[in-house]
Amino acid sequence: MAESLVLADADVVLARARAGDMVALERLYRAYEAPVYNLARRICRTVEDAEDVLQETFFEICRSIHQYRGEGSLWGWVRSIAASKALMRLRRNKYRDTDELDDEYHGPVLGKHEHGGLRMDLEAALERLPEVSRAVVWLHDVEGYTHEEIAGMMGKTVSFSKSQLARAHTRLRGWLGGEGALA
Amino acid sequence: MTGHLTTAQLLACREPGLEPGVVAARAHLDACTECQAELQRLDQVKARLKALPTLRPARDNWALVQQRVRAERRARWRTRIVAGSMAFAAGVALMLMVRTQLRQDAGQATAIHEAMQRSSQLEQVIQQYNPDTRMVDGQSQLVAGQLEDRIAVVDRELERAQLLAAREREDALLRLWRQRVGLLDALVDVHLTRAQAVGF
Ligand SMILES: [Zn+2]
Repeated sequence: MAESLVLADADVVLARARAGDMVALERLYRAYEAPVYNLARRICRTVEDAEDVLQETFFEICRSIHQYRGEGSLWGWVRSIAASKALMRLRRNKYRDTDELDDEYHGPVLGKHEHGGLRMDLEAALERLPEVSRAVVWLHDVEGYTHEEIAGMMGKTVSFSKSQLARAHTRLRGWLGGEGALA
Repeated sequence: MTGHLTTAQLLACREPGLEPGVVAARAHLDACTECQAELQRLDQVKARLKALPTLRPARDNWALVQQRVRAERRARWRTRIVAGSMAFAAGVALMLMVRTQLRQDAGQATAIHEAMQRSSQLEQVIQQYNPDTRMVDGQSQLVAGQLEDRIAVVDRELERAQLLAAREREDALLRLWRQRVGLLDALVDVHLTRAQAVGF
């Protein structure tokens, strides 16, 4: 999504941003505000948390832009800061740990054949996932991080990341019904 | 393997890896249309997740970010004045050393010393202009911030220059201290202009 996002005069903007130029830093903010907020909002539970993550991410970018040496894409660098801030926020809020709530619930669990007209839409299903599972499925499936990278960011093992992804998909499968198959 | 693949096994088929379990799962997948359909369904959920609309913040958060950045810069600047005085003291000590080692370069050593003294004087002038209270206009603050950042760069280079061999070190020190004086001069101008404009 944001991969294609380009600043017309990226080199100039970057050079000025590194020198601390607020106008250039604001250009960076405008360019990446939406994808950073989107990532934060998909991972965090509330709008307020997502806005805090957005602010923390750009505050960090403003103070450490001189450390970005152009290895890898700028969006990749921005995103890794955003992801780590969002995950930090999850830990700080001590959201429910998925290990405990594996089978306890979040809303009425619909049996395999009970969907009928109650088929949930994807946004709602995603929202309903436990926080850690949702973070893993988003980082892996949408942002394209590997299990190794996610494990590193979360301070967990690779198999933890894999099992969270599988749990998330199992749940989504139950909530979305078979519609994914030939949709 | 008996029965169909679990979600975890299906997902593992999409990951790189040659563990025996994954190899066996791939073999089952090749032969089983039901599991193929299930994996396709998983792929489609992933595709639909990627296609979800980008959520946007309801309000502009830049002003708050900018406020924090500026507050931090002012704090950094105050620390830098202290560090600057220390750098000055260290510079004086180094000067004495340079002088005894390289008497033939007394002219250059004197020039460095003069630049350092001028730098210190300018810093004292700047200290009188407290950026917290005096720098209210955005443009002056922007220019001052840029100058402060460039001075910080020179300070870092000054630290590195101490490690150079004697001859090179002196050239670098003279150049850098003069550069520092030039930047400080400009910074004093910014503060002065601003102070006059608001009637201080
Ligand atoms: Zn099968």
